[in-house]
Amino acid sequence: MAARCLWRRLCQGSSFPVNYASRVMQKQCFLPNFDLVGGRFSGSHVHTEEPKTNPLVSISDEPEILYRRLSLLVKGHDKAVLDSYEYFAVLAAKELGITVEKVHRPPKKIERLTLLKSVHIYKKHRVQYEMRTHYTCLELKHLTGSTAAVYLEYVERNLPEGVAMEVKKTKIEKIPEHIREPVWDTLPQVEETEVKS
Amino acid sequence: MAVDQDWSSVYPTAAAFKPASVPLPIRMGYPVKGGVPPPKEGNLELIKIPNFLHLTPPAIKKHCAALRDFCTEWPSALDSDEKCEQHFPIEIETVDYVSAGTSIRNPKARIVTLRVKLSNLNLDDHAKKKLIKLVGARYCKDTDVLTIIIDRCPLRRQNYDYGIHLLTVLYHESWKTEAWESEKTEEDMEEYIWENSSSQRNALDTLLQIKATENVSNVTKEDLLASEVVRNYRNSVIALKNEGETESNISQYKESVKKLLNIQALP
Repeated sequence: MAARCLWRRLCQGSSFPVNYASRVMQKQCFLPNFDLVGGRFSGSHVHTEEPKTNPLVSISDEPEILYRRLSLLVKGHDKAVLDSYEYFAVLAAKELGITVEKVHRPPKKIERLTLLKSVHIYKKHRVQYEMRTHYTCLELKHLTGSTAAVYLEYVERNLPEGVAMEVKKTKIEKIPEHIREPVWDTLPQVEETEVKS
Repeated sequence: MAVDQDWSSVYPTAAAFKPASVPLPIRMGYPVKGGVPPPKEGNLELIKIPNFLHLTPPAIKKHCAALRDFCTEWPSALDSDEKCEQHFPIEIETVDYVSAGTSIRNPKARIVTLRVKLSNLNLDDHAKKKLIKLVGARYCKDTDVLTIIIDRCPLRRQNYDYGIHLLTVLYHESWKTEAWESEKTEEDMEEYIWENSSSQRNALDTLLQIKATENVSNVTKEDLLASEVVRNYRNSVIALKNEGETESNISQYKESVKKLLNIQALP
């Protein structure tokens, strides 16, 4: 996308004001290599440029997607299962070095329905059923694209049966190139002919 | 069963509860009258419920140690939300849905929400006002955030492209000034402007009449406009109209009117 190409150009440090470029340089040395959809990279150490010798890890040149927040909402019928799952997800996040911002349990929702007890007549005798849905919400902060992909795959594969999950990803991006300056400044003559005709 | 055996090899993946493999004295179920819950042998309740025996803390640590090679670090220069906002002003929010059912697809997954603060875009005064008029309810004045929810196309990537296209079009259209924009009336204005308003006319007419009855030499409108009492009155009226009625605004208006009309008697 345009944002990714922009990030690439950012790494090369062109066409940006000076103070911003210095921040870019600072960012550059903290982020020696990025990866993306194709490859994974071990970026655990700042100064060593060479990746650990893990044959499955491959590095790609494309810039990293940045997620400001990842919100996992887990829904289930059994509270004990959700509690165990929350313990597992929080421990996995801590082990992978992801900051867990907040873990809260929204109140449960009960859906009730009233049906006739008998197949034929007996309107006064009914039976009531209810479905209880318990929720747990896990909010993670500041993830890179590859870390998010790894964590989500691990956590989603171990989702127990009967439990559903919604993952809300908030991605942050730079303003694309074509919105920096209004295009009317650069095309005066074309605009005039259009207006006249 | 040996005490030091490796549990992650007994339950490497999610599996049903096997009472012979799990050496714990678990009982589950509704107890018989005067009795205890049924034991684990042949207990259907224990088999039905999903168990986390394959995800004990040592097993999780082992898995994460193997996965850590594939993770990258967050750039330490972006440690706070304000810095993220400053360098990466646009926020794209997407939702993924995971559930078991006849189909893994969820039609709500194609919705994309685009949020951007207008202060981060390169807009001048006229462009900002025009953009706010164009988007209408999608702009929140308190937080200065423009939120666009796109669910027009069937695929998420298409919706994202459309969102960026919309933002581009809005931005460029707001910089254009059309011929009919000069017909903007006072009702269309977003904020109150004192110059050429009825309040200015009334104040100046009153002052001119006062001066005429006192038979002072002709003072021009420009002198009156530049005088301090009229400036005070102008500021207090603008504050009242734009910010609403507060204690300080109303008292400021009272003081300025008293000075304008030269009334000292009232407190």
